[in-house]
Order: sequence, then structure tokens, then C-alpha cells
Amino acid sequence: MNNLIRGRPIAEFRRIIQDPVLFIGLILVVVFIIVAILSPIYMMVEESLTEKGQELFDRYLNSPVYRTIIRNTLEMGLIVAALGTTLGFLLAYIQVKVDVPFKRLMHITYLVPIISPPFAVATAVLLLFGRNGMISRGWFGIRYDIYGLDGLSLVLTLSYFTVAYMNLKGMMQALDPALDEAATNLGANKFRIFRTVTVPMLIPGIAGSFLLLFVEAIADLGNPLVMGGNYEVLSTRIYVSIVGLYNTTAAAVLSVILLVPSLLVFMVQRYWISRTSVVSVTGKPTGTPQQITHPLVRWLLFGAGLFVSLFILLIYGTIFAGAFTKILNINNDLTLDHFDFVINGYGSEAMKDTTKLAAIATPVAGLLGMVIAFLVVRKRFMGRAALDFATMLGIAVPGTIIGIGYLLVFNRPNEITLPLLGTITLIPKLTGGRAIFGGAGAIVLVFIVRSVPAALRSGVAALSQIDPSIEEASISLGADNIGTFRRITLPLIRPAFFSGLVYAFARSMTTISAIIFLTTSRTKIMTHQILNEVENGRYGNAFAYCVILIGIVLVAIVILSVAVGTTTGAEKTMEGGA
Amino acid sequence: MANDQVGSLILDNISKIFPQRDGQGEVRAVDDVSLAIYEGEFLTLLGPSGCGKTTTLRLISGFEMPSAGRILLDGKDISHRPPNKRDMAMVFQSYALFPHMTVFNNIAYGLRVQHVSRSEIKARVEKVLDLMSLPTLGERRPNELSGGQQQRVALARSLVVEPRVLLFDEPLSNLDAKLRVQMRSEIRNIQRRLNITSVYVTHDQVEAMALSDRVVVMNEGKIAQLGAPEEIYRHPQSRFVADFIGRANFLPVTVDSVTGERADITLLGQNMSSALTFDASAGNRLTAVLRPEALLLKNDPDLKQATVKQAMYLGASSEYIVDVDGQELIVVESDPSAEQIFREGQSVGISFVPETVHLLTQ
Repeated sequence: MNNLIRGRPIAEFRRIIQDPVLFIGLILVVVFIIVAILSPIYMMVEESLTEKGQELFDRYLNSPVYRTIIRNTLEMGLIVAALGTTLGFLLAYIQVKVDVPFKRLMHITYLVPIISPPFAVATAVLLLFGRNGMISRGWFGIRYDIYGLDGLSLVLTLSYFTVAYMNLKGMMQALDPALDEAATNLGANKFRIFRTVTVPMLIPGIAGSFLLLFVEAIADLGNPLVMGGNYEVLSTRIYVSIVGLYNTTAAAVLSVILLVPSLLVFMVQRYWISRTSVVSVTGKPTGTPQQITHPLVRWLLFGAGLFVSLFILLIYGTIFAGAFTKILNINNDLTLDHFDFVINGYGSEAMKDTTKLAAIATPVAGLLGMVIAFLVVRKRFMGRAALDFATMLGIAVPGTIIGIGYLLVFNRPNEITLPLLGTITLIPKLTGGRAIFGGAGAIVLVFIVRSVPAALRSGVAALSQIDPSIEEASISLGADNIGTFRRITLPLIRPAFFSGLVYAFARSMTTISAIIFLTTSRTKIMTHQILNEVENGRYGNAFAYCVILIGIVLVAIVILSVAVGTTTGAEKTMEGGA
Repeated sequence: MANDQVGSLILDNISKIFPQRDGQGEVRAVDDVSLAIYEGEFLTLLGPSGCGKTTTLRLISGFEMPSAGRILLDGKDISHRPPNKRDMAMVFQSYALFPHMTVFNNIAYGLRVQHVSRSEIKARVEKVLDLMSLPTLGERRPNELSGGQQQRVALARSLVVEPRVLLFDEPLSNLDAKLRVQMRSEIRNIQRRLNITSVYVTHDQVEAMALSDRVVVMNEGKIAQLGAPEEIYRHPQSRFVADFIGRANFLPVTVDSVTGERADITLLGQNMSSALTFDASAGNRLTAVLRPEALLLKNDPDLKQATVKQAMYLGASSEYIVDVDGQELIVVESDPSAEQIFREGQSVGISFVPETVHLLTQ
């Protein structure tokens, strides 16, 4: 009896070793997670716990200035989470439950912020609603001071509500319409159904979106830098500690303070919300959702949805206009100077470097995400849940923390000294001056770390929908694991792979907080350059960067959809056959 | 178990232990099972859900590794050989067709893995499409086929690689009743024709009886009984098997006397003797198994009287639940002619065919 119990994990382990490809894949994934995710976080925490760090902890937690900064951070996070979730819910509800004109077009405008380069939204809002804003001063004649919490809440909500929108829209569509029908059948009116069925069923989705937006907001660096004014938050203070004061320990201490709420929220999300989810996706909706037909409610909702769409168009229109005019609102002469600056001038290097590095990171991140998803969903081994958890840390942890961790780990070669063989370099110096590849290695690694979690989640979602016996059938017919993954699994999760790739590329092109400390004179990154232009008030150049960046992402999406495909090949005939 | 024939596929004291879902304790899904499957035989693993039949099949296929024991194929230990190296092909309950491939490519899949030449693939796939009467469907996708056609493609896909052993995991349970009967006889015909050693898992006892050379009835991870279908039906070794295979009435009896291998008993007012498959002596309390069709109802005041509690007319037969001395019995009358139809509440004489009585210890 006891023999058998002890024999079990060994048998499973033997099974993994027996398949060399699976085994090597697992080893590579584990090495990646340890080197690129866990060790930077660990080193940062260790740095904060040194004697000097502990003193700083003491000082910060007792100083009124820092207490205000911490309170600001949490306040901003909560406001953005509440606003963004409410907005996402409202817009999703309109899409799913109300029949109004231009639904499809409105939907597309809500997706636009996914490819928003940092600073773009904030800068456009400044131009429109700031002290000399085209709308605030130009139309209403107010000198409105938008810097601070109000402006920050606006731009952060605009930048991140899409996450809540997509999340809640998916859940609303998955709700079985029979529930609505049953409630109607029992005599409930539309408002009562909304209150007693729709909202309670979506609570996990609402809570999940809220937490996600909270983490995104407190981790954001670009918007507070532009929009914060005197309203300081932890991420900007961390930035100043490194860039202004060169004090890594202080940055590490502040990062740990920022890490605590982020990780807390991540844990709640993972272990509480995912368990209380009541929405069951059966894949076979039994009817169409009942529509809201009350004319007043309908047109009010339509007005709200349209307003958000137009506002987003206004923001992005401003970005475009700013890129093509000399100085928007002051000298509106059309010009291509800003584009010349980016494409042929100072910015061309950053444009090429960023695109190249993102293009390297994208396939690696996409494939890695699918492989980890495959291991997590399909294979049984010890530490499976830990593998998923550690991978997700790549995005759960604020980008600034990853960046500082990289500085701490990779600013010197990592070596071990062995007897006889002498000193062996395990990992060469990756960041700072004289790093290999001019620091590009670390940047690519960060791109990957920040993109893999999304690819993993979409891979897990897709794989859970595929009957495992389809893969078993392939193996039973003589194919090995790698052949099965290549011929069966990968084609069937192609849509998830595609969205993982698109996300990876867009994220890599637009990320700022994680790589801002890692750019070197030899490797320039567009987002960092945008920050320089914004700080120096050259908005035209910044907008041109943003337009080009958006253009590059759109072209990449087209290339990826041609190269990878967005379908499995199974659904084409479903339409034709049905 | 008969030892005169050597099994080509042997399970030697196989156990499979899963950890329980809450992490506390464990489940013995398969508990020390030994079994020899003969060359060309059609063997069915039959039992209620959770009895370990599917796990046993997955151990044979290699999708699970045994916690203890060995699996031998043609004398070679394959216990830890990965499933793709076992020369077995499995037909799945969900068909598990590759949705992104045409029917032709689905069937050709196993041959391509083996790097069979293009021309041979074409010839072999076409041959098996013919065999399964699917000749014109090669370019269709699985989701354009009916359930029955999908199951045929799944079977064709497994047959075309000419596996050493064919495995079936409840392949017919997703089909409607009529199609199931039709596919059942097709599977039987093809298996006979090709003479492929087959292991078949089902919870449907009729399916098991119709298809199999031998049936293994499983319960709680163990083999409850192994034998030919008629053997298992006529001489179940336990109350569980008697109840699971077909339907059964259980009547308590007391042994009056024992002569040789036979016991004299009194059943429903009749004196009779029945064969003993175990030791018993006068005064022992035993259980008599009576199949519903072995019980006879007749308007005859000389017989033991029963009260009809429920009557169901089914066309080809009639089913009754009758009360005899406070015990309810199921009776199936296969000839419901006019004078043989009884009404609820009516009193009727009951008797039985003595040769069909089977005794159990409990």
C-alpha cells in the first residue's frame, strides 16, 4: 500500500522524462521563469531588506509626505477601478442587451485604447482640457487645472476601461438567455431581471475587472508622469528615485510597498474570484438575449455609448491632428516635419530598434504562452499550479518593479566558480553600459515576460474548450507529443495563438514602465523617446511617434493574421455546412 | 480462468490509484485486476460508472500508467511504454475526430505518422472508406457529418493503421437508440471479418452481450465475474452481477436437504432441486435468482396466488409488478395474447421454470 503511494509521483515523473521533448520544454520553461521573472523580483525584495533598506522602510512609512503618496496611489487605483468597471459594464450592457444603431462601429472605437501608446491619451487630454485647452479654454473660456487626481482618473479610465468592457461583454454573452426567460416567465420586469439576475451573475466578472483595473492603475507610470502635477504616486516616486537620485535601494523599498497591494489583489483574483464564478460556458446558448425595448432607457443608453465613442475619436483625432500640424492650437499649419523627425531624423533608430525587438519577442512570447498553457492544462506533474502562478507574476507585478529587478540582477555578469573549470559566466551582463547586444537582450526578455501571461490565459481558455480525447486520438494513432502539439493542438488553438501574438506585439511596442530603466545609448525605445518629447513640450514629435507606433502595430496585426491565420479551419465549414 | 489458451494481451495484478480530489486520501480505481485477452477475441469491460472499466482501458492504451502490476503484449512488458508506441488504436466516446481536417485526412493521419507512401495512403484510406460504406465523404469535414457517420470515420481511422489491439471507449453512447443497434452489429461484423483483438468498454449490458465473446463485469475496481454472455446471464456469481446483467428477482430460500451437488428447496410453494456451485447444507439460508421472463402468470387457483400491483403493456411483451406474500416481483410475459393480459389489482396464479433458478449464497 505504502509502496504504491510513494510510487505515484515517481511514475508521473518517469512519464515526463520518457518524452524528451516534453521534458526539455518543461526545463526551458522553468529556467525562463526563474531567470526572467522570479530572480528579478527576488533580488528587488532582497535589496529592500538590506540594513539601508530597512531604515528607509521605517522612514517612509512614518513620513507624512510618503504616507500621502501611498494614500494617493490607492485612492487613484480605487477611483480608476470604479470608473473603468462602471464604464466597461455600461458599454458592454449596451452591446449585448440593447438594439441601437452603430453598435458595431461603437464597439470598434472601444477597442482602440488597446493600442494606445503611453502619454498619447494624457497629452491629447492636456491639449483639449488643460489650462490652455482647445475645449476648456477655447469653447468654455475656463482655465481649468486638469493636473492631478481628476485628470489622472480621466486618462487612466480612458486607457484601461477596455479590459473591463471586453471581460464583461464576454461574460454577458455567455449568460444563458434561458435565465432571463425564466425570470420573465415568473413575472419579473426588465429592471428586476437586471437587478436580481444579470448583476448577481456578473459579480465575479465585475469584481475581477475592478481588481484588474486597480492593479493597472497603480502600476501605470506614463500617465502620472504627464498628468500628475503635484499629485505624486508611488510609480512616479520610484522613477524619480532611479532616474533622478540614482538610489536603487530607495526604489526597491518603494517598489515593495507598491508590490504589496498588487500581489494582494492578484491573489484575491486568483483564489477567490475564479472560484466563485457562477457563469458556466456551455458553448451552446439556447436562445438570443432579451433586448431592452423601453424607448427612453434605450435612447439614454445609446447616447451614453455614442458619447464615449465620440470622446475616444476626439482624443485620437487630436493625436492625429497634432502629428500633422506645426503646434496644434497655436500654429495649425499642416506639416510633415514631425514625421520627418521620427522617420528620417533622430527617431528613426528608436523606431527600427523597437520594432525589431518587439518582432523578436512576439513569436517567442506567443509560443511560450501556448507551451505553458499546454503543460498546465494537459499534463499532470508536481508544481503545475506554481508554473501558472509564476508566469502570471510577469504581469501581476508592476512594470517598474520588473525593470528595477532587471537592473539588480543583470547589471553584472552572473557567474559561478567551479573547481577545475574556473569561473563560468552563466548569464552575461544584460543591462546598462557595455551590456551584450547594447542592452537589447534585457529589453527583449522584459517584452516576453510582460506578454507571456496574456498568451498563457488565452491559450488556457482555448485548450480547456478542446476535448482532450482529440489529442489522445492522435497519440493513439502513433504520433508523439510534439507531433500532436504541432499537427493537432496548435491548429486548434490558432485563434488564441493569434490573439496572444497580437497582444505581445502591441504590449511590447507600447510598454514603458518596465523598460524605462533599461534603455541604453545603444538601444533606443520609442516609448522612452515619446516621454522625452513630451517632457520637453514637443508634442508634435510625440504625436508623430504615437501615430507611427499605432501604424506599425496595425501593419503587424495584418501581417500576423496572414502569416498565422485567425481560424482553426474547422469553423469555416460550420458556417457553410449549417 | 481457462489456462489452456495463452492470452496475447495480459493484465498481471494491475492496480491504479488516484489521489482524491481534495488531496486527502486516495481512490483505488483499479484494484489488483488480472486478465488474459485472447488473440482475435472481442472482450467487453462492463460495469456501472466509477467501476474502473474506463481506467482499465486507459491503462491498456497507455494513457494512464499502472500504480502496480504489469501489462504484457505478446509476452513483452509494455507497462511503461508510451501510448503512441503500443500499436493499439482507440475509438473514443466523443469520436475525437480532428475538426480541422477532412475525413480523408483524419483517416490518413495515422498512416502519415508512420510515413507510409502517398500512393499507399490513398489506396488504404479508400479501401477502409469502402469497408465503412463512406466512399463519397472523403472531402467533408467532421462537423458536416451525422453522428453515425462521425463514428464510422472514427472507427475507420483506427482500423486503417491495422493495430495489434483495437480499443473502444463507450463508442456508441452518443448515438440515438436505433443507430446504436445498427452500429453495434456493424462493429461486430467488421471485428469478426478482420479478426482484430478488441477490448470494448460499455455500461450497457445489452451492448456487451450482443458484441462480446467474453464479458468482464467490474465493480469497485475489481472483476466481479468473467465469462461468456450466456454464462454470466444464467449463472451470475453474485447478487451484483445478477442485478447488473438483465433484471432479477431475489427470493430468500432455505435449503431442505442436499444430495450430491444439488439442493432441495421450496420456492413459491413448489418443491424443486437446483444445482449448487458452492458448499451448502440443510438449513442454510440462500437466495434464489429468478429472471422476470422465467416467472409465469396464469389464472389458476391451484397455484400460489399473487396480486398485480402494476401492469405495463409494451406491445411485444407485458410487464407486471406483482406482490407475493409481501414481496414485489417483476414478471415479463412475452406472449401478451388476450387471455394472458392481467389488470392491476387482480389476483393471479404464479409459477416458474425450475431449470432457470440459480442459487446464491446471499
